[in-house]
Order: sequence, then structure tokens, then C-alpha cells
Amino acid sequence: MSTGSALVLLFAGAITTYAARAGLIVALADRSLPPVVERALAHVGPAVLAALAVSLAVGGEGIDSLSGPEAAAIVAAGLVAVRTRNLIWTFVGGLGVLLLLEALV
Amino acid sequence: MASSRLPIARDAVVDVTPLAVPAVPFGFVVGVAITESAMPAWIAWLTSPLVFAGAAQLTMITLAGTASLWAIFSAVLVINARHVMYSASMSRPFGAQPTWMRWLGPHVMVDQVFALADRARDREPTEFRRYYLTAAGVLFVVWHVAVTAGTFTGDVIPAGWRLDFAPALLFVGMALLAVDRAPAAVAVVVGGGVSLLTSGLRDRLGIVVGAVAGIVAATALEQWQRGRRATDRETVA
Repeated sequence: MSTGSALVLLFAGAITTYAARAGLIVALADRSLPPVVERALAHVGPAVLAALAVSLAVGGEGIDSLSGPEAAAIVAAGLVAVRTRNLIWTFVGGLGVLLLLEALV
Repeated sequence: MASSRLPIARDAVVDVTPLAVPAVPFGFVVGVAITESAMPAWIAWLTSPLVFAGAAQLTMITLAGTASLWAIFSAVLVINARHVMYSASMSRPFGAQPTWMRWLGPHVMVDQVFALADRARDREPTEFRRYYLTAAGVLFVVWHVAVTAGTFTGDVIPAGWRLDFAPALLFVGMALLAVDRAPAAVAVVVGGGVSLLTSGLRDRLGIVVGAVAGIVAATALEQWQRGRRATDRETVA
């Protein structure tokens, strides 16, 4: 790949990524939105995080790609998160269960 | 003043640490990919400060030379689509921020930063800014150290440590921590469920499809609940 093409790709990627992140913040920050849109936006967090979590866990191959220890680790991480509301314990608990079960199985 | 700054920064560091740890092996992977890319290495490295989005960077770096510029660019667009939703969702807390923060803050809004910022959205504006910038700053530094180290050392984190799976565990935790009422629970269940059903779509488009389905379902439930409450009030009156 030529330096010119690589630079085009670099800046195109940088500009579109920035535009995706900043566009609506800058455009909407001073405006009040219809109440139903405001309410919908409050659900972006839980919906995207859940969708992202699933995608990170199963990749592009669906639930069959998940091993038993991985499934158990997800359950453990979820329980620890709800119980402690702390991400460090979620990390330790989930990964601990995964490593333990992988060592045993 | 200084006494209130420190606890907020400390909160941010404590909260971002478990998210920064799994970013290290991912950064190493990107670093290794830079050394193997058809892109000149210095340009591939510049994706870190200029794009600062792991999945999009890896796509650009690995597909360079193997696909058309347009194909790479459209893959990046799809991968970044969720950031548009983050941006819309963050418009309210950022509305109370100074102009410089509105323009600069979003550049570092990776998934982890959005997840933390979403939980901090009701903080007072100065606190929100300090929290956001501290958490994002830690991730930014860790990411660049890991990517740069990866270009020199290769991937030195043993695969057996399973840090590759840690992001999935943490995002499960963060999704559950975002549940405060029934509509948010519906957002998680529908968002996760539809994402699972559509996980075979290219470029991880399932994330966007799942997220939109979750948002629509949660909003529909909330509208229905509000309508029912209004009807109940009328009946009582």
C-alpha cells in the first residue's frame, strides 16, 4: 500500500470515527429534544452494553462457540456485578471462575 | 477544592482499572498487526492517537493492502455506528460542559469510557468532566503503551491468562449495572438477545441491530407504562 493511500485511509478513518462520536454531542448539546427521544436515549447504555457483551462473548459464530467454562464465567461475572456493584470484583470473579474451570476441565 | 478533586479522580482510576487491564493484550495484538501490515508502520501507529478505537484500528491495519480502500472504509463505518448512539445519549451530560469539552471529550469516547460516563451522567458537570477525562486519560495512556510495546516485543501476554475474554465479562457486568428499572432490564434482555441472534452478520453489525432493538423495546415499554399510569390517575380522579 502506498504512503498516499495509507494516509487517505488514516484520515478518513480518523474523521469518520470522530464525527460518529462528536457529531450529535455538538449538534444536540444546546437543544432540548422531544421527551420520548430523551427517554429513548437513556436506554442506549444498557442496550448497547448488552449487545456488545454478547458480541464480545460469542464473536461471529453464535452461542455454539461459547465453551462451558466461558458460559459459567459469564454467569459468575453477572452475579458478582449485581451483588457487589463493583467492576474490579466482577473482573476477578469472572476471570477467576474461567481460569479455575479451564484448569480443572 | 483540592480535597474534592482527588476522590473523583480516584473513583475514576478505580473504576477504569479493570477495564484498562484487558485493553493491554488487545493493544499488543494491534501492535503486532502494525508490524505485519501493508500500511507503512508509522501511519498504522498513528491510528492509535488519531482514531483511538481498537476494533476500527485493527480493521484498518489488517485489511490494508488486502481490500479496496472503500471496502475498508465501509467496514470502519459499520464498526463505528454504535458511537453515533453513544453521542446522542451523551448529548445531555455534555450539554452542561464547556465548548472545548464538547469538542475534545468525544475523541476519547471508546466503549469503556462511554460505559463509565453513562453511570456518571447525573454527576455535577465539573465532577462529570473530571471523572470522564481521568478515566479516558488512563485508557489513552495504557492503550498507547501497549500498542507501542506490541510493535517491539510481539504479543507477550500468555493466551492462558484468558484476558481476551475479560472484556466480555466486564461488559456483561456493566450492562447489568446499568439496570435500574424494568425498561432498562428489557433493553438488556432484548439488546443482548437480538445481538446473539444476529451475531453472524458481517462486521459485527449485530451489535447495532441488537442495540436498536433493545432501545426500541425499552422505550415502548416505558411509553406503555406512562400511558397506563395516566389512565389510572384519570380513573381515580
